[in-house]
Amino acid sequence: MPGTGYIYTITGFMKDYSLFDIADFVMDEDFIRWVNNNNKADGDFWENWLCRNPHKHLIVAEARKILESVGSEQPVVAPEIIDAEIEKLLLAIRLPQGQVAEFKRRSFPVWKYFAAAVFLTVILGAAVWTFTKDPKTPPKFTYVDATSSKGLVENVNTSKNSITVSLPDGSTVRLAPDSRISYGSRFDSLPTRDVYLSGQAFFNVRKDPHHPFRVFANEIVTKVLGTSFSVRSFEKDTVIQITVSTGKVSVYSQEQATARELAAPNKLSGIIITPNQQLVYEKSSQGFQKILLENPIMINPVSVNKTMAYEDAPIDKVFDDLGRDYGINIVYDTDVLKRCTVTADLANESFYRKLDLICRAIGAKYEVIDAQVVIQSNGCQ
Amino acid sequence: MRRILNNEEEALALLMRKYYTDLYNYAARFTRDDAMIKDCIQDVFISLWHRRQTAAGILSPKFYFLRAIKNKVLKSLDSTRRRIGNQTLPDDYDFFHEFSIEKIIIAKQVSEENAARLQAILALLSKREKEVIYLKYYQHLDNAQIADLMNIGRQAVYNLLHEAIRKLKELWHREFVTQ
Repeated sequence: MPGTGYIYTITGFMKDYSLFDIADFVMDEDFIRWVNNNNKADGDFWENWLCRNPHKHLIVAEARKILESVGSEQPVVAPEIIDAEIEKLLLAIRLPQGQVAEFKRRSFPVWKYFAAAVFLTVILGAAVWTFTKDPKTPPKFTYVDATSSKGLVENVNTSKNSITVSLPDGSTVRLAPDSRISYGSRFDSLPTRDVYLSGQAFFNVRKDPHHPFRVFANEIVTKVLGTSFSVRSFEKDTVIQITVSTGKVSVYSQEQATARELAAPNKLSGIIITPNQQLVYEKSSQGFQKILLENPIMINPVSVNKTMAYEDAPIDKVFDDLGRDYGINIVYDTDVLKRCTVTADLANESFYRKLDLICRAIGAKYEVIDAQVVIQSNGCQ
Repeated sequence: MRRILNNEEEALALLMRKYYTDLYNYAARFTRDDAMIKDCIQDVFISLWHRRQTAAGILSPKFYFLRAIKNKVLKSLDSTRRRIGNQTLPDDYDFFHEFSIEKIIIAKQVSEENAARLQAILALLSKREKEVIYLKYYQHLDNAQIADLMNIGRQAVYNLLHEAIRKLKELWHREFVTQ
């Protein structure tokens, strides 16, 4: 049933949002604009309104969910195709009226063949583009296949040092020697920011949750919303490596991505990696392995315990601090270790050295499994 | 719009650039024939050019183009089957639309189970419900324009929207109360 609030909008009175039910919100132009565009004025208004109507939080949250689930972005027609169509249009309107009238009566008029001939190259290019873009075509995973015929901007580093490439969206790429990277000329106006990499690069991605940033490196796609990470994918290597510096990235194979688009759009979540983790993709076995970096760096250097000096500290506090500082999951049995305490000054040591010292103090061993540290111990007396 | 009155080809080109994606996407709801869609869009702009003296009366270019492309595509689809009069349009045209829920899945705002259910619900919406949702949330038309474009009353638009939202609401409500 329509909520009473909606009636007011039709008759032109001030809208009384407190009378709105979920459906009214989902249909309200102002509400839709807030959810889709998220501009400051709308944000202020709704924040304010929710403050005054706290019991409406749940309704607003549900309305948002519904709006988000019907989506609001449509696939973009490639600028190259639009350019070709505009040329075609301009040519058509410049022809004498009679010929155009002719074209309207016949389904395949002579002028069309003429136009087709003139724009053969453009249209062929567009056709190839459409073909390679079609998710139903078998995926091609080499850099050349992925980038040829797309009219991309390419940067190649032939020097002996890394170079910095700035992308149109404000992200930067540190490109290693012998590496190349490509992206579309309208890169920052498409729904996803796609780049193609051959070789090694470090990405510092500007945050933009609405335009995921994707790196296509041979078989592997790395997808982020805004973070920094590096990808190493030389054609000659047997593995592809992805390392995260800040934030989170999700990685999946192009094989999965294509299968997902065809069959089950909801099945793929990819593998999530976080700082100090590295994902290694082995090309021959097509398998992923998550490992910890050899020398993890602190990701939260200004954590609660600055000194890392402990005196008779309970072990769970020590492990918690360590795990938080490096963003690494440390797994242990709280019950077994509950009587263990540590007295040590762990400042200025590397991650693994700290781990060694702690384990020696409590007579435990550790193992790194699947990018997590697993502690093995018989407990303390 | 006003500028094409002065024979400015550039203005026509600008209009096409601005609305091409919207038009192409809307037309693609009725047919998957890429070449035919492109021909229809060409036709719409060519006939606008030849009738440019009347163009000043067009209030919302986007709405004008959407209506023109719909008529053109449906007529073109129909003439491949049989010849019909200019005025009547079939009411039982197809409307293909697959919702993209990729965004909320990536943002991890939804469990896999719910994503599957959401997909199922969206797939089960009727053709008209899909069209209303598409016009409102993808093309951002207002209810009056949607009614005009779909050849139905405003109340009917409202009912279709409300019914579609009700189906979605049930899903999310369950998600919220079980959290």
